[in-house]
Amino acid sequence: MEATWLRGAAVLLLLALAGWVAGRRLVLVYRLIRLGDGRVPLVPVDARLRELIVQVIAHRRVLRRPFAGVLHLFIFYGFLVLLSTIVQAFGEAFVPGWTLPLVGAAPWVALTQDIFVVLVLAGVGMALWLRFVVRPKRLEAQDRFGALLILVLITGIMLSLLLSRAAFIRLHAPAWAQGALVSRVVAAWWFGSMPDWFARVAYEVGWWTHLGLILYFMTWIPEGKHLHLVTLVPNVVLAKARPRGALASIDVETAERLGASRVEHFTWKDNLDAFACMECGRCVEVCPANSTGKTLDPRRLHTDLRKQLTLVGPAVLAGQEPASRPALVGQVFSEEFLWQCLTCGACVEECPATNDHIDKIVEMRRHLVMEEARMPATMEDALRSLEARGHPFRGAGLARTAWTAGVYVPRLADGARPEWLLWAGCAAAMNERNHASLRALVRLLRQAGVAVGILGDEETCTGDPARRMGNEYLFQTFARQNIETLNRYGVEKIVTTCPHCYNTLKHEYPPFGGRYEVWHHTQLLARLVDEGRLRPKDPVAGRLTFHDPCYLGRHNGEYEAPRRVLTAIPGGAPVEMAQSRDRSFCCGAGGGLYWMEDRVGERVSHARTRQAAATGAGTVAVACPFCMLMLQDGATATESAIRPMDVAELLDRSLREERRP
Amino acid sequence: MPALLIVATVFDAGLARSSLELVGAARPIAAGLRLDLTAVVLGPGPGLAEAAEVLHRHGVGKIWRAAHSLLTSGQTDALLPVVEQAARTAAPQVVMVSADTVGRELAPRLAYRLGASLISEAVEVGTDGHAVVAKRQVYGGRAVAEEAAASWPVVVSVKPRTTDVPEPWPVAGSVEDLVVSLDEASLATRVREVRREQADVGLEDAQVVVGGGRGLGGADGFKTIGELAAALGGAVGASRPPADSGWVPINWQIGQTGKTIRPALYIAVGISGATQHVAGVTGSRTIVAINRDPEAPIFSLAHFGLVGDYREIVPLLTAKVRELKGA
Amino acid sequence: MDVVVCIKQVVDPELPVRDFAIDPSTRRQVREGRPLVISTYDEHALEVGLQLKDRHGGTVKALTIGPRAAVGDAVRLALAMGADEAVVVDDPRGPDLPGVEKAAVLAAAVRKLGRADLVLTGCESADWVERVVPPLVAEALGASCVTFVSTAEFSGNGLVVRRLADDGFHVVDVRLPAVLSIASDDANRPRLPKVKDIVAAKRKPVHVWAMADVPVTSGDRRVRAPEVQGVTIPERTAKCELLSGDPAEQVATLVQRLRALKLL
Repeated sequence: MEATWLRGAAVLLLLALAGWVAGRRLVLVYRLIRLGDGRVPLVPVDARLRELIVQVIAHRRVLRRPFAGVLHLFIFYGFLVLLSTIVQAFGEAFVPGWTLPLVGAAPWVALTQDIFVVLVLAGVGMALWLRFVVRPKRLEAQDRFGALLILVLITGIMLSLLLSRAAFIRLHAPAWAQGALVSRVVAAWWFGSMPDWFARVAYEVGWWTHLGLILYFMTWIPEGKHLHLVTLVPNVVLAKARPRGALASIDVETAERLGASRVEHFTWKDNLDAFACMECGRCVEVCPANSTGKTLDPRRLHTDLRKQLTLVGPAVLAGQEPASRPALVGQVFSEEFLWQCLTCGACVEECPATNDHIDKIVEMRRHLVMEEARMPATMEDALRSLEARGHPFRGAGLARTAWTAGVYVPRLADGARPEWLLWAGCAAAMNERNHASLRALVRLLRQAGVAVGILGDEETCTGDPARRMGNEYLFQTFARQNIETLNRYGVEKIVTTCPHCYNTLKHEYPPFGGRYEVWHHTQLLARLVDEGRLRPKDPVAGRLTFHDPCYLGRHNGEYEAPRRVLTAIPGGAPVEMAQSRDRSFCCGAGGGLYWMEDRVGERVSHARTRQAAATGAGTVAVACPFCMLMLQDGATATESAIRPMDVAELLDRSLREERRP
Repeated sequence: MPALLIVATVFDAGLARSSLELVGAARPIAAGLRLDLTAVVLGPGPGLAEAAEVLHRHGVGKIWRAAHSLLTSGQTDALLPVVEQAARTAAPQVVMVSADTVGRELAPRLAYRLGASLISEAVEVGTDGHAVVAKRQVYGGRAVAEEAAASWPVVVSVKPRTTDVPEPWPVAGSVEDLVVSLDEASLATRVREVRREQADVGLEDAQVVVGGGRGLGGADGFKTIGELAAALGGAVGASRPPADSGWVPINWQIGQTGKTIRPALYIAVGISGATQHVAGVTGSRTIVAINRDPEAPIFSLAHFGLVGDYREIVPLLTAKVRELKGA
Repeated sequence: MDVVVCIKQVVDPELPVRDFAIDPSTRRQVREGRPLVISTYDEHALEVGLQLKDRHGGTVKALTIGPRAAVGDAVRLALAMGADEAVVVDDPRGPDLPGVEKAAVLAAAVRKLGRADLVLTGCESADWVERVVPPLVAEALGASCVTFVSTAEFSGNGLVVRRLADDGFHVVDVRLPAVLSIASDDANRPRLPKVKDIVAAKRKPVHVWAMADVPVTSGDRRVRAPEVQGVTIPERTAKCELLSGDPAEQVATLVQRLRALKLL
């Protein structure tokens, strides 16, 4: 009796100690997170719960890497199930042989527990194999000691559990042992011929080790990547209420500062992201900039933000200036690093913690561009051209309506009020290669009896490149000006060939009073094909593959429409690249990087061209004027025979015969 | 008879070529308006006499000669009062100045001091029998303006390298020395140093010029075309974007805002052919364009066009040229 | 140090060829409906003025002649870049005045502004390209003059400037007051205004003077501008032989052609 009392007191003391160590640190983390800006609109509760089920319970993102996903699934559910054994172990400190009420003694519970002990051990084995044999590049930058420590701890917790369970079975042969198949085997194997005292000692050793390791583990949770055990669920639940492709607005005229130049300039949600990162490196692996040898390492956005918060946060919380503070922009994240992000969203798509990397990049770019007026010279040229000419293609030498040569499209300024407005977009209108796509689209819509008009000279850039380069002020100027024009003509439905315009018109204009029904041209064409209003006849020549534009695919979830159109063309079903759909690899133009010389490592556009050419296709179908330019350039530079063609061009060719009178 | 006064300079290697070009441009005007062809020739001293001979040989009669150690390249504030002095002495109806570094400053200021009419940057100058008329490139070379002087006297500045050096046409002439009094301390501007940029030497006089444009993609591209230029014994120039982007020194720039060239062979690499550049190269006898874009406007100007990546074509061409020269 | 920078708003020189037209009645480029920008080198002139102000203090004023309604963007950009105030001499013909007349108005306006140690202009306007304004303003103001200057720095009581020349560049000592025309250079690449400066520029003073309020003297008007008899767009005839084949074949053909022309 006295021994039990002592044991209980000792356990309580250890628990309090571990709780104090972990709790103190968790409180600090909470305060560091709250150091961030408080204004973050969140999604509605039902959507949050859905995300919780999808991402946490169903492990959707985690399972995108099947091997790592399955091992995590084993360990994750193992721990959930084995919480029961942990609770029982603590109970036993006070009542020997205590089990969970109602079900604790049931053989099936014991069976489940045993199965999960094995699964967790299997998971740990897989993890060790992955980490030390496979050694994927994405795990290289990780804290290897921390990772190994945790795996050893988990193994220890499992083995000590088995030890104590087996010894208990040997000593007491409880009813639940019926179900505990594994523990029984271990009991027979280890203690079958051993004396009672040995089993008793083994039990004590197992039990204490188990408890001790759990408590030690607890103190490790708030450190580094293990913190995701605590932060992941809130991070998933507290999702930002913003369409995926949209960036947050700021009131430029009144804002105290523009963008982020210090860790405390981010929002609390950004900070929570940082503490939710488990350093899995999937973002690094899929990053087109990183995988072509550039400095950008999306994981560092979270790990380094976390490091900086921990470094300077306590002083800032105490209202003091930290003793040393590396410059967030320039030192922690070099300007080169910040200007290599294509905002393609591959990292965001992949992140099991549902973190948003783009927000942080753009916040720091905002600081550079709006506060410091510092950016690569070629981007500066683009921004100047935007300001002076309303389009970013300096030296294009084309009138905005040059593409209409040979096709008839009425202008709204001339009194036309067709059902659809065709938003040409600068990338298409100011680059001759894309004129064919626009003309093809106009011919197709005409054939299907869809009335369409254009703004002509009244159209300007949507502001997308400015916004993604960090010039929110210029973006808002364009947004207001375009919305004024669009509303003046009462425009309701917009179709565009440019996914960047599409994304901006659809998601980024509503907060400024521009609400339109926006379609990407592949969506409208898919509908017309589905309805039988366009019936492609002539087969395409040779094999073709399809390149998903980031701002149509990942940012807007449209993977099917362009494929439906292509598949409707005889012989047009695309041969898929390994990196397609939500795993598509950016063409190299996103995030305003069309206007930057891609000089570090391999050019992203060349890498993507190689991927497309590897399918053996002669044509890469595109659905974005930027992708067209980049892949065209990539094909020339890599001496590849593959040629980009817009989906509309391909469909138009297939219907050419039919149109002939 | 009233006079036409040419401003000629002898700064280092004899009479400046642009001064001789002025003579060529002035002869028909002098004939058309029945003016005596005269000149003021300025310089620190050496070569002035020979220069006067050359001018006589090309049709210039009366010559005012001004020698002073301050009459040097770029020293506008020394040259201006001497030219003004010559003009007041000769009382010409027309003064012709080369629109070079000094001329660009000197011509308007001389016109102001003489209360004259002013035509600047002419690429073609002549007379309609009553007045001096000139053509100028305007709007980045997109258009040509025709201007007529509205009163006498007229100061005209003529862009260098827009006319050929004239054939000799010897006349009897005389030389009169001007008494020059210049005080260094009174000069409002003083050239402290003249730095010649090596790479620039001869761009305007080279018989072969290789020009690079935006299409070269960066300063490295100029190394590639530099090798071709070296193989051809020519000079390297650039259109405006590379000069603006700092890939090359600004005085490599050829075009309306840069230099005008008239080589026997001009090879335009990665140059789209914006009018601004075209304005400076139309005088080239043979133009070769190398460009990736078959639609580039440069092809409408060139005699021979090569469509493709310059990174491939230029080294091949360089090798071929070396092979020929070596053989 | 008080600097006046003369800026001019021109039709975008990069305007597509298709949109370039000459108005036969004015004999100038059609401006209507065309995007307007600050004449290229004027921005460099602003930058030089602002750098001097950054280093040595003083004021920078932007001065322009033009229809007051249309010059807004140019003036706002100048103010956002850092000019302290701006003066618009309101004249509908402003941008198309001949250089000689413009110089007279600018000289008078600079005099009316009061003290100016330095007047800066672009080395040429992107449209009419006469290059006569800076020397004429200098004469009218009795100031020194250097054109095609890439950099300017104080030295003693005056300036030392770098002038682009046909054969390289000249380092020139300049007495004040002076008029300099500025050519582009890496060192005077126009700054991109910071957003907070753009916002602040909206509160900076813009003075609008009627042409009649600018006291142009007969001394300012000593030079006569030429009469523009016509402005024509030259036609070009295509005569290019596009060489066929792969790069090696193209090069071989080219060498053959050039040898035939005795160019190799």
